[in-house]
Amino acid sequence: MPVGGSPGVPVMATEVRFGEGRQAENRTQVQVGEFDGPLALLLALIEARQMDVLTVPLGALADAYLDALGRLEADRLGNVSSFVAVASQLILIKSRAMLPRQTDPTDPTALADEGTDPEAELRARLLLYRAYRDGGLRLAEEAERRMGLFRREPGAARAAAMAGARPTDLRTLDPSLLARALDRLAAIAPPAEMPPEVIARTITIAERAELIRAALIDAPMVVLQDLLQGVRDRVVIAITFLAMLELMKRREIVVEQAVPWGPIVARATTPDERALAGVAPEVDAAPIDETLESFA
Amino acid sequence: MTDEHEALAPIELTEAALEALLFVAEKPLSRREIGSLAGTDRAMVDARLGDLQMSLATRGIRLVIDGDRVELATAPEGGALVARYVGADAVRLSPASLETLAIVAYRQPVTKSAVERIRGVDSDYTIRTLLHRRYLVELGRSEAAGRPFLYGTGFDFLERFGLTSLDELPPLDADVAARLAEEGGEPIHVPISSADEVTG
Repeated sequence: MPVGGSPGVPVMATEVRFGEGRQAENRTQVQVGEFDGPLALLLALIEARQMDVLTVPLGALADAYLDALGRLEADRLGNVSSFVAVASQLILIKSRAMLPRQTDPTDPTALADEGTDPEAELRARLLLYRAYRDGGLRLAEEAERRMGLFRREPGAARAAAMAGARPTDLRTLDPSLLARALDRLAAIAPPAEMPPEVIARTITIAERAELIRAALIDAPMVVLQDLLQGVRDRVVIAITFLAMLELMKRREIVVEQAVPWGPIVARATTPDERALAGVAPEVDAAPIDETLESFA
Repeated sequence: MTDEHEALAPIELTEAALEALLFVAEKPLSRREIGSLAGTDRAMVDARLGDLQMSLATRGIRLVIDGDRVELATAPEGGALVARYVGADAVRLSPASLETLAIVAYRQPVTKSAVERIRGVDSDYTIRTLLHRRYLVELGRSEAAGRPFLYGTGFDFLERFGLTSLDELPPLDADVAARLAEEGGEPIHVPISSADEVTG
């Protein structure tokens, strides 16, 4: 049978059946699956017995509560700790009720060691919970009776939705207009920037020979490795070497290398040396022939 | 929005002008917005809102007040008829959601742990569901350790439950109500989005 809550407030949370148990606390069977929390369960047990939360001995409900707790479904174990916490409180209340208690009316601190009264604490929680549970139910009742308040909804969007997405009555446009417009736009657009021009670098034997000649004006001799210090380009190195060989061939310079991989030292030939070699004493001013035939 | 209105010439905020403004507005307006639009101060806005609330008390349109924000909505007495016209259904909430909503409505601003202390059970999922349905809103953060969120009810709660303000909440159990009055609310520390949404 459904359980009644506070006067005028229906309880929709649970189903309680009365069994044939001998003791009153065993006669109530509650479907726990409906309950969201332990206080809801405990309150349903109290209300099923039509007892007053303010006066009911809570310890007497411990067995019924534990019985209901034992039937908790496995998928509700996430909340089981909160159910167990209230169960332990009920057991404590019941055990305290069974034990003789020393009370001394002349000594107000006689019960100080026992701390706060767990029954009073749990009863207060129940009362508070019940107030909000019933408050929520009254809210739902009012909401059902009044059906809520209504305000003006955003009108433009709703009007558009009601009208439907319908084409306008204006004349349709020719698709070729779009193509022509794009063409005109392309004409207006600035031309794309050209990629940077790549200019091939030319290194000539004549250039490198001039470099060697210039070096030999200021110094009596030049070490090829020093001349090429810092140069990483293998082409430049090779052309410089070829220029040195070309100057040797023209008897402009003499090159010596004392040891393999050692410094290659070049110095300008004297007019006498050139004469002895059978060439004109003056340096040949003719441009260097850079064709491959000249190397043959 | 307010800055551009502050530069405009003031307009006399009559009761009729205020009613017209709220009629056209398709969303709740804050008192500050109204003051900025009319170029008048908060006291004048409050006074005119009070006048309008009195005038509409017996009409089919009511002034709905949620803290700083106000709007015009149909009167609770007309709800059933309007609902039939727009095809609206009644609120359907689980007992857990109703309990949680009641706790927040009566105690706001309130933290999740305060709700759970009263219900005796984890309420995270329930609160998230109510937030999603916009019955609850985040009002700010508590000054307590961990600075938990503070929750309150929103306009959607008032509308769906047929309340023109929180003053129309059904009375709680007398003992509990007295206890609430003694306790007071939880202090607000930091607003979430704007000062308009923080209500005491």
